[in-house]
Amino acid sequence: MAPKLPTSWVALPPSFLLPESFLPLITTRGVKYGWSTANHRSKHNRFNQETAGLPRLTASPAAALERKAKTLPLRTGVLGIKKGMTALYDSETGVRTPCTVVQLDRVQVVSHKTREQHGYFAVQMGAGWKHDSNVTKPLLGHFTSQGVSPKRFVSEFRVKDESGLLKVGQLVGPEWFLEGQFVDTRSNCRGMGFEGGMKRHGFKGQGASHGNSKSHRLMGSSGPSQGGGSRVHPGKRMPGNMGGQQVTVQNLKVLKVDAEKGILVLNGCIAGPKGAVVKIQDAIKKPWPVIPGGGLEEVKETLQELAAA
Amino acid sequence: MATTTPTLRPLSCWKTLLRQSSMQKVATRSLTTYFKPKPIDPPKRPHHKLKVYPPPPSAKAAFKEPIKEVTASQLAILDPTGGRTTLFSKANTEAAKVGDILLVRLKNGDPFAGVCINIRRRGVDSGILLRNELTRVGVEMWFKIYSPNVEGIEVVQRKEKRARRARLTYMRKPKHDVGSVQNIVLAYQRTRGALRGNVEGGPVGHENKGGKRKIRAKGKGKK
Repeated sequence: MAPKLPTSWVALPPSFLLPESFLPLITTRGVKYGWSTANHRSKHNRFNQETAGLPRLTASPAAALERKAKTLPLRTGVLGIKKGMTALYDSETGVRTPCTVVQLDRVQVVSHKTREQHGYFAVQMGAGWKHDSNVTKPLLGHFTSQGVSPKRFVSEFRVKDESGLLKVGQLVGPEWFLEGQFVDTRSNCRGMGFEGGMKRHGFKGQGASHGNSKSHRLMGSSGPSQGGGSRVHPGKRMPGNMGGQQVTVQNLKVLKVDAEKGILVLNGCIAGPKGAVVKIQDAIKKPWPVIPGGGLEEVKETLQELAAA
Repeated sequence: MATTTPTLRPLSCWKTLLRQSSMQKVATRSLTTYFKPKPIDPPKRPHHKLKVYPPPPSAKAAFKEPIKEVTASQLAILDPTGGRTTLFSKANTEAAKVGDILLVRLKNGDPFAGVCINIRRRGVDSGILLRNELTRVGVEMWFKIYSPNVEGIEVVQRKEKRARRARLTYMRKPKHDVGSVQNIVLAYQRTRGALRGNVEGGPVGHENKGGKRKIRAKGKGKK
């Protein structure tokens, strides 16, 4: 047996005597990511502030507003009533353009939603008129406090910032939109009621013959049996209620504007039956329209009033 | 009955007095007024009638049928004289009807003639469906009657008996198909050309389409 070497000369001296490089501490060289690379925080902070040296939160209300800033319209929209479809002819080229006629009825600004109070900027618009005996008292109080008549339809339109808040009580006609500009429309499509898989999802149905019995329009199988889980997966398309939900149609050109008659003529079709309420606002996928004179002045007035209040 | 006060025993009157007073006490006790507490009404809140603002003037009430307004404004441009409207008006007894042979002259393209088998009345979007046979193949064409591309519509031949259907789709069946109406149209064009020659004294030529167009254009009020 080899004599055991004395370990005293191999053993390291006490750590306080060693230089730092020998110490098997946290690896510092070659570390590119991880918590050890985060900025040094002086002291524990309850709130994750910018001072904490961490990236800004992406799930805060402020961050949400910042994300939406590019796609939120600068101006409010209007509420219209779909009246039906017809066509316009260009007498020069002879081109026929199918169009939808929308009428605006006493569209008025009812109130505002602000960042301080509600967390975002929006304009509440009302359209039509309702007899006050048909309006609940809380809602009537809302209209009265704002100094507007009771409205049949009320809806809000989000705007980017304070400058988009139109004066309360301001009447908005079809001249709010320029001929040739693009708008987005939102309306509820026709309700179909409870519909089968063929109509609702375009299933093929089953054969008319070859021994088929009483199952010509059925959806067929809803999934594998034992081996496939013996269950129906979430989201399986089945018969059910169809239609009646909001449909947005983007980038519709404004073909005609008639302020006197309250008529707005839009290119193409929009969702819903005749008499449907349509929300119309500047198209978010096109450059914002340049409004000459009037619109800007109104905005300025609003700003002045806000400053005074 | 209370006895009279005995003069000999003056103090004895006390007993009577006390008895009387005690009797009275009972009487007064029974006469106590019934205490009626005042009904405590909840403090009446003033009936708050909310002020209701009147509605602003309505464009919708004044113009109840916007589609008609749009149609009228379009017709004022496309059919200022109203010739095309009367040609297909239901009120007009001389109007073109289904079953008639119509000739449609176009700004850009050859004229098309055929039996009218459908008139779809939709205001400014109205159209007619003409059926003919070209190179022995049945051809159907839709024409929008107010389209600026349609220069003129002429009635070549009327149906001798009024059609008793709104849409003569049965004419597509071999049994009812009239086939080509080209000969009737050519004969019609010849007579028109002759008429035109007589009126203006110019060279008569049934192939001179330009002249005919001019006349029809004036007649129909279409340019």
